[in-house]
This record gives sequence, C-alpha cells and structure tokens, in this order.
Amino acid sequence: MIEAEDLTRRYGDLTAVDGVSFTVGDGEIVGMLGPNGAGKTTAIRVITGFLPPSSGRVRVAGHDLFEDPVSARRKIGYLPENVALYPEMRVSEYLSYRARLEGMRSTEAKKAIRGALADCLIEQVSGKVIGTLSKGFKQRVGLAATILHQPEVLVLDEPTIGLDPKQIIAIRELIRKLGGQRTLLLSTHILPEVELLCDRVIIIDRGRIVAEGTPESLRQSWQGEAVVALELKGAASDRAETLESLPGVAGVDRVGESRFELRCRPGSDPREEVFRLAVERGWTLLELTLRSASLEDIFVRLTTDDRAASPSTEEVAS
Amino acid sequence: MNGIWATISRELRAYFFSPLAYIVAALVLVVNGLTFGVILSFLNDPRAGIGAPLEYFFGQTVYFWLVLLFITPVITMRLISEERRSGTIETLMTAPVTEAQVIVGKFLAALAFYVFLWLPTVIYAVIVARHHQVDWGPVASGYLGVLGIGALFLSIGMLATALTRSQLVAAILTFAMLIPVFTFGLLEMLSNNEGLKTVFGYLNLWQHMEEFSRGIVDTRRLVYYASTTAFFLFLATRALAVRKWR
Repeated sequence: MIEAEDLTRRYGDLTAVDGVSFTVGDGEIVGMLGPNGAGKTTAIRVITGFLPPSSGRVRVAGHDLFEDPVSARRKIGYLPENVALYPEMRVSEYLSYRARLEGMRSTEAKKAIRGALADCLIEQVSGKVIGTLSKGFKQRVGLAATILHQPEVLVLDEPTIGLDPKQIIAIRELIRKLGGQRTLLLSTHILPEVELLCDRVIIIDRGRIVAEGTPESLRQSWQGEAVVALELKGAASDRAETLESLPGVAGVDRVGESRFELRCRPGSDPREEVFRLAVERGWTLLELTLRSASLEDIFVRLTTDDRAASPSTEEVAS
Repeated sequence: MNGIWATISRELRAYFFSPLAYIVAALVLVVNGLTFGVILSFLNDPRAGIGAPLEYFFGQTVYFWLVLLFITPVITMRLISEERRSGTIETLMTAPVTEAQVIVGKFLAALAFYVFLWLPTVIYAVIVARHHQVDWGPVASGYLGVLGIGALFLSIGMLATALTRSQLVAAILTFAMLIPVFTFGLLEMLSNNEGLKTVFGYLNLWQHMEEFSRGIVDTRRLVYYASTTAFFLFLATRALAVRKWR
C-alpha cells in the first residue's frame, strides 16, 4: 500500500511535482504515465524516499517515510529509471551485496538469489561481470536485485526500457506475476504496456495528476471524442463544408488530398449519414472508419493541450 | 549494522578489483622502500647521529608526508562521488540503511585499505631486527601515529567525496583541505605570538609524528585525531543526505 498525500517537490523555482495525491492498494498494479519531464521520476524518487518532498506525506505499507524511513524502505523494492549497477562486480556478488544491504542472512540470501535469478531469466549470467552484460541483461539484474527481499511494495521506473521484444514479454509476464501479491507502481512511456498490465492509470503532466482511472473508464469518458476517417475518390473543394453540415459532426479536418477526419459529437456515430450523403452526391467512398479514442489519443490530448501557449515543464526541466 | 558490513565488504572488494589500488600500492612501496634504504645507508656511516631507522622513517623525512598527502585523496575520491555519478546512490539510499552507516562503512573500508598499504613496511622493522636490537615500543607508537593521522586525513577525504559527483574534484578538494590541516602546525616555527605558537603547536602533525616515532604517546594527540575524524565523518553524513540533483 502506498499513500501519497499532497506531495510537492520544488527544484529552485521549478515545481517538478505539484500537490500530487494518490493511493496504490495492496495487490494493485498502477501505471504512471506522462511525457518526459512531467515529474514522474521526481514523484517516484519522493515516494521511494530518495528525495525528500518540499511538502506532503508518504506512507508505505503503513510506515511514514520520513518519520520511520528505515522500516518503510525495508518494505520497498525500487528499480530506478537508469538501472545503475557496479560494473566491476559479478552478478551473483552484486545480488548478495544487495541482499546484505537488506539485512538478509546468508542462507536466506542464497535462496532468494537463486529465486530471483530464475524469475528474471538470468541464471546463465550469474557468474559474469556486470560491466560486460548487455542493456537487457543489466535491466534484469537490476530487477532481480529489486525483488530479492520480497518487498510488499514494488516501484519500477520504466522497467522494460532497452529490452528486445522477447525480453519485454518475459518481463511483463514477471511483472504481472509479481503484481498479484504486491503493491506495484510502474512508470512507463509505453501505452500498450499500461493497457496490458495495469489495473489503474495515473496520468501526470507538468507535475499534476491530469487523469486517473482504469484504462477502460478513461477510454469511456473520452469516447465522445471519436473520429470518423473518410476517404473519397477525387478531389473537390466544397466537400468539407458539406460534411460539416451533417448532424453529429462537430468539425472536419482535411488530412490529405481526399482524406477527411470528422470529429464526432459525444455519443454520435455519423457513418450512416456520411454514406447517404455520398450516395446522394455520387461520391465514391474508399474508406469509412470509426475510431474510438485509444489510451494513446487520450494521453496525447491530455498532455499536449495548450502546450504552445505556456512554456511546458518539459522544456524548462530538460 | 548490516549496512556497515555490506558496505565494507563491497568497498574492500572494489579496491582490490581496481587497477588504481595496485598503482597506489606499488608507488607507496617504491617511495617507502627508497626512503628506508636511504635512511639505512645514512645510519650505517659512523659519522651519522644515533637513532633507530624506524624513528627516522616515521618522524624525520618529508617522504612520509608526501606519501600520506598523496594516497589519502586517491583512496577516498571514488567512494561516494562514483555512486552519485553512476546513479547507484539511488538504490543504495533507498535500501534500509542510514547515511551514517554508509559513511562509516566506506570510511572503515578506506581505513582498512590504508592499513593494507602500510603493512609491508612492518618488514623493514623485521629486517632491522635480524641485524640489530629493535625497541618495539617506539615502532608500535609510530604505527599508532600512522593510523591516527591516516584516519583524520581519510575522514577529510570522505567529506570531499560526499560533496561532488566527480572523482577528480573530490581528490583535489581533499588535497586542498589537507594542505591547511597539515601546514597550519608548521606555522609554529613562523609565529612570534605566544598564543598562536601554542595553538599551532597543538596542531603540528609533523611534531606529533616525531614524538610518536620516539615512543611518546600523548593522549591529547589521539583525542585530536579521533574528534576531528568524527567531526568530518559527521559532515560527510550530512553531505550525503543532500540529494539536490536530478
């Protein structure tokens, strides 16, 4: 269980995280989405106790992170964004070092290391020097070290970055398995990953939570923004106006010589009208598709609105 | 406690896996060996003054200090700077360990490596003992001085490495802090004011080593080393707690 209450973190004049509150329940997998520089990593660093917040509180598995940091940290497994390891150590040495940091006894540690190596599919590299491993292996070594002490709360910052498709599938499988028993907060850029893995999504932009809910509920609440893609044979200039006059069409964007996108009014489906109109005018219809908003559309819309009007956190931060 | 032990064993391993450690060890051996050789041939001459070779070795040559001022920044520079640079500090400081445990663990590892660098010089005493009677008391107190002053210098290095993410900056900063700590005491000779002279006298590390090498163990010196070491380690702990970087 992670309870974050009104977290704010400032770097000088820049407010990287601005009054963020959320809860991740036991056994829940929550995805944190947001463009680069939105404050995801800062939020995660505050939640894991690496950075103190400028204001606000965090409780992890019932322990206040600032009053009782060591007990709280004992409950967390944290995989940072750029998995940093000691290049001169062997994988098995590194894992036993991390197990000792967690306070595990050596027999207990040995068993945990065997389990973590198997879970992360890295048994074959346990004797290798970390510096010689590929990015994908390093990522999985980091993940193995994160789950060694069977933490109640797992926080993974971009866990599948830099992996090949086969490894991504394996790691997602592992994350799903881990999530069943634990509280899991996962930040990612990859939208399909969120839809596949997460029970709930938190979308962050410019340090604030701009949307929160299950992937389905987010999609439903934006359903009204569906778009009809349309291709007509030949090019004629007056078609856009004619299409715009149809009931249920909020606006028309011309996206190519003869391609249009009709923005629909909430709850309406103007495909039938479009077809009738085409028959009436003798247009040849090449394509007529209704696209409901994907999570990606929602994400893009939420995080790009009036970007141009005000300088974004992203630009300031990077 | 697990934080301290885990850190010590990791850092010691890291020392012996890095080529830098062997370069430093080789250099220390060469300089110390040459110094000792020169001292022996000097004392072999009947015209030379009386004194035990190790007394000269610890208390009379500038090489002793050059070695000390050179190796302490090199031993400590990597310890925290590298964790900050590579980002491993993030997993380290979100593990259930405190800043103080990390600092103490790394400091003890550095001290152990420092002791390892001095260990071969025990052979010098053994060599002398085969040809001549050795008074082991002053030898032991000489090593006590080496340990105390080394701890002080290494704790300064710990503060420097906790302050920056660059090993080079950490080494230079350590050196910059060691110079006044070492040379203030030498101002004793250049001071006319009685009060100042006394103060500088207390801080005169060269004088301290000379006494240690003659078998004089003054507890004020030991208190000075222990308290300043603790003070710098405390500052290093505070510096490690500051994580104002992205």
